[in-house]
Amino acid sequence: MANLTQQLLGVTFQSPVLLASGTCGYGEEYASLIPLDEIGGLVTKAVSLEPRPGNPPHRVAETPGGMINAIGLQNVGLDRFRGEKLPWLRENLRSARVLINVVGHSAEDYEAVVSGLDSDEGFLGYEINVSCPNVKDGTLFGTDQQALAALVSGLRALTDRPLVVKLTPNVPDIGVYARICEEAGADGLSAINTFPGMLIDVEARRPVIGNVSGGVSGPAILPMGVYLTWRAAAAVSIPVIGIGGIRSGSDALQYILAGASLVQVGTALFVDPSAPVQVQAGIAEYMKRHDVARLADLVGALTIPGRE
Amino acid sequence: MTAPVRVWARVLETRKASGDTFWIEVDCPSIAEQARPGQFVMLGTGLSDVAAPLLPRPFSIGAREADGRLGFLLRVFGAGTQRLSAVVPGDDLLVLGPLGRPFTLSPDRPIVCLAGGVGLAPFLFVGAEAKRDARDVRIVYGERTADRVFDPELIRRITGVEPDLRTEDGSLGRRGLVIDDLDLDDRPQLLACGPDPMLRACADLARRHDLPLQVSVEEHMGCGVGTCQGCVVLSSEGEWIKSCTEGPVFDARELAWRT
Repeated sequence: MANLTQQLLGVTFQSPVLLASGTCGYGEEYASLIPLDEIGGLVTKAVSLEPRPGNPPHRVAETPGGMINAIGLQNVGLDRFRGEKLPWLRENLRSARVLINVVGHSAEDYEAVVSGLDSDEGFLGYEINVSCPNVKDGTLFGTDQQALAALVSGLRALTDRPLVVKLTPNVPDIGVYARICEEAGADGLSAINTFPGMLIDVEARRPVIGNVSGGVSGPAILPMGVYLTWRAAAAVSIPVIGIGGIRSGSDALQYILAGASLVQVGTALFVDPSAPVQVQAGIAEYMKRHDVARLADLVGALTIPGRE
Repeated sequence: MTAPVRVWARVLETRKASGDTFWIEVDCPSIAEQARPGQFVMLGTGLSDVAAPLLPRPFSIGAREADGRLGFLLRVFGAGTQRLSAVVPGDDLLVLGPLGRPFTLSPDRPIVCLAGGVGLAPFLFVGAEAKRDARDVRIVYGERTADRVFDPELIRRITGVEPDLRTEDGSLGRRGLVIDDLDLDDRPQLLACGPDPMLRACADLARRHDLPLQVSVEEHMGCGVGTCQGCVVLSSEGEWIKSCTEGPVFDARELAWRT
């Protein structure tokens, strides 16, 4: 087996493959289906200060090559996460790394969640969701340069743990937002969150999704994710985690060659819970076939003819 | 509490059971041995099938045989079910299950299954298990028209129960709805699965007659295991609850029945 380890965020990841926030719950739901402690790690469902009820149905629908969702960040809230969900992760994930996805209505909400979790054990750091297109207030941080800088530097002052910011694709130049996060003290970036989208039931002349619009994920967004990962990675020196439509080792390698140090698998889990294991095996097979000793040698190893 | 498994299962048999409805049997002992009536599986064609719709689809378990076979009733609604209806013996399907909360059968009451359309599926399994246990079980099955009726001979073969057929236009069986002209004198336990208006009517019927009712509901589903939170229904306490893990079977009193 090729050496799939990666050193970043102050630790060693045993594999570059993580499960994306919102697709793996709090881990426990997939315990019988995915060997969670044999993959790189997982990013939890978003945690907000107060529990969130979420949106009315339909919340999910299929679209060619992907799906659209508008869950509305339904989650159990900080207190129940700490009491019920984090202990399971602490006890069951020894080798895999856990990032807690954090969301808020306001900077104070984010700060309260990070402050509330920071002294707990059982996780590595945070992935800050500034880009979920489903909740009106959440869109502000990811697309507003000043609000984003203030949010990240505010959180930086509260924690020594790794702080990863999950970028929205819904900006004209993702490199600008990547640099803002880096300058504000982020340790890493996740690129990208879902794309805003909408489906219409033409017979009923109504939106398919209860929330009207939602976030599009799945293989359909892979080329956009690879492109935006490439743009973000070129703009910063902190590590980037590539996300969007990954369902094979080859898909993951596109992100890695574009500059991602780690990747996240999301929608593919719904197609087949063995997706992360298949992605890992595919990367290992590629490394063996190309005689690559260290995965780090592939990060950003894209060559563009005429630009070598 | 069962732990769901993910397994490739060989298709053993497919047959057309009405104009747009198919009966599919797969070899799936690891799920069959755990399955209970009312539970479901996610059926899909896997990550490498680029021609397929992406997501798997939820199906009630329609039959479970001692030899490890599982049977599913599949009606074509859209691209996902169209693709799955095209499988032939020898194909493999990716199966995730068993999933969800099963029916809880009353130990002493007769069982009356109220099945609307493709909502017949879980009651094939309920009927067969109840019949095996020598329980008093009735299956009241309604469709709009005769051409949609799932082959009654197949229902008899799977369950051993003679279905009480209804069609809205009277083209087969009794004319009317599944809740019409029911004999409830023996105070049965009611189980219902079908379109929302039918389930609301069943909930109303159960309330009026003070009979216990469990319903199996359906919503668009992403993962089937509780992570995506896509498949919610509204609880009687006004909360969105997941039909995949908290359901799909609910006591009717747990749900809000908005009209």
